[in-house]
Amino acid sequence: MNERLLFWFALACYAGASALTARRLQRGSPEGTLHHASLGLMVAAFALQTLAMLWRGQHLGRCPLTNLFEVQVFIAWSAVLFYLLIGSSYRVSFLGAFSAPLVAVVLAMALLAPIDVPARTPDKHSAWVEFHAAIGILACGALALASVVGAMYLVQERQLKSRRPGRLLFLLPAVDQLDVIGFRLLLVGFVLLTVGMAGGVVSQRIVEPWPWPKTVWAVVVWCWYALLLGGRAMNWWRGRKAACGAVAGFVFTLASYWGATWLAQ
Amino acid sequence: MKLIVAGLNHRTAPVEVRERIAFPSAALGEATCALLGAAPLKEAAIISTCNRVELYGLAADAETAIAGMRRYLHEHHKLADSIDPYLYEFHGRDCITHLFEVVAGLDSMVLGETEILGQVKAAYAAAQHAGATGPALNRLFQKSFAAAKHVRSSTGITQGSTSVANVAVDLAEHIFRDLRASTVLVIGTGAMSEATAKALRSRGAGTLLVCGRDRERADGLAGQLGGQAIHYDDWLAEFPRVDVVISATAAPHPIITPVKLEPLMKARQQRPLFLIDIGVPRDIDGACGGMENVFLYNMDDLQQIAQENLAAREREIAVCRAMIAERVASVAAWLEQHFP
Repeated sequence: MNERLLFWFALACYAGASALTARRLQRGSPEGTLHHASLGLMVAAFALQTLAMLWRGQHLGRCPLTNLFEVQVFIAWSAVLFYLLIGSSYRVSFLGAFSAPLVAVVLAMALLAPIDVPARTPDKHSAWVEFHAAIGILACGALALASVVGAMYLVQERQLKSRRPGRLLFLLPAVDQLDVIGFRLLLVGFVLLTVGMAGGVVSQRIVEPWPWPKTVWAVVVWCWYALLLGGRAMNWWRGRKAACGAVAGFVFTLASYWGATWLAQ
Repeated sequence: MKLIVAGLNHRTAPVEVRERIAFPSAALGEATCALLGAAPLKEAAIISTCNRVELYGLAADAETAIAGMRRYLHEHHKLADSIDPYLYEFHGRDCITHLFEVVAGLDSMVLGETEILGQVKAAYAAAQHAGATGPALNRLFQKSFAAAKHVRSSTGITQGSTSVANVAVDLAEHIFRDLRASTVLVIGTGAMSEATAKALRSRGAGTLLVCGRDRERADGLAGQLGGQAIHYDDWLAEFPRVDVVISATAAPHPIITPVKLEPLMKARQQRPLFLIDIGVPRDIDGACGGMENVFLYNMDDLQQIAQENLAAREREIAVCRAMIAERVASVAAWLEQHFP
């Protein structure tokens, strides 16, 4: 057995949790057996993924963030980590139901795309570089979950606006709760992103050549979220606009990171 | 030995009959002991709510025991006329199924209502406290409670209210995470706005403001619901702190329009606003519903949702019955083994 097999097992668990979500949607059951089974699968998948990442890290002798595959796996892992932390504290069980398919897709993309190749110009081994990369990806996890919450907001808002809400209305939290959770996740993600970028500036002397595409990418992403948070804090936009911003922000972050990484290579 | 039940409910007996044979909750324990003395039963329990009276028991001879139960009801309540035409009875597995369906709310007047579980729990506790229950009824009732909880959490039988007022509250609970922190403004003091405000208040709505052209009625409603009456001309000034508006005036034209609402939403810092328009003709311009962070429902919307919720609950009955059947089989097998 190698660590890729463990990743596949984790993916199977996330896919199972997604299937249970679909079943829950169909049945309209708010809690109960399906919810517990789905949560169990998420926890199992998280444990398997953690084990696989530790295994890979031990093999590399450093934090496993050397190529696009590892980055993507780390983003999926961070999103689940934030879900496990946030989901229980806010009692929003359906957050897991929405997170599972997103995480499954991100992990499946990582496993299926030919991106698990050793980095051509591996970063020099440095605690600062690892810190910068790990915190930056943790930020992406929080921002991924913020986008999931944003999607939940849009679905719930659509239910309410339609004047003919279906079963989903009862499964999802109140729109103002989703608005608050989304804002806090964005804030956490933004703070981590800022710290990660500061780590990147400190590690500037170690990394050569300076990865301009990634730097530009990071600055654009940082500006986007700064604008989103500023607008939300000033009450210029909240609710639908903030939710759309969170979803669009994460899709852009993920897509442009792929592009920036390829350009850098 | 056989489990048996004899009783009547809202479907078999009119309220005039039900009220004559109801047992006060404080006297349930004593009445259950009296039933044990009046009919040849090993164990007994009585459920008495506004919609049903049912006598449960464990008997060696079901026919004689049922006759004793009927006689007990007549004698205990000193009835002049026979109530036999209104009574139903179930034996063995049918009795178990009946109780499970009652506790799960499948046999209630409002399908899927959850109050019945608490009422049956109280009746069981009274019988147990009086020493009238034994292993058979203990198992029967405890398993029925577990089955009801399972059915509720795994199906949509309790989802969606079936009255207009409660539908409005359900919607409010999916707009605001904490109704206790919300402020409700009632404009107009008709029966529907009163019922909706009452429902919101009973589910925890924090502050209630009432205004109407008839100041006396507004004062009365505010006093009755623990709210505050405001002058009709002041409701616009109060708007920035309001989260839910129930409007039911007799105004011939809309009193809330997008032009009026836009600056108010800015003053409210774009917080979500729930507008409930139960006025005919409508009090709120339909275009307000298209504004961001504004959720508008009128009387037709609420009635339609209430009807759809009821239909959805009815569609869940078959699933609930299938879930219950598995658990009934298990209890029946246990009883057969321990009380052959």
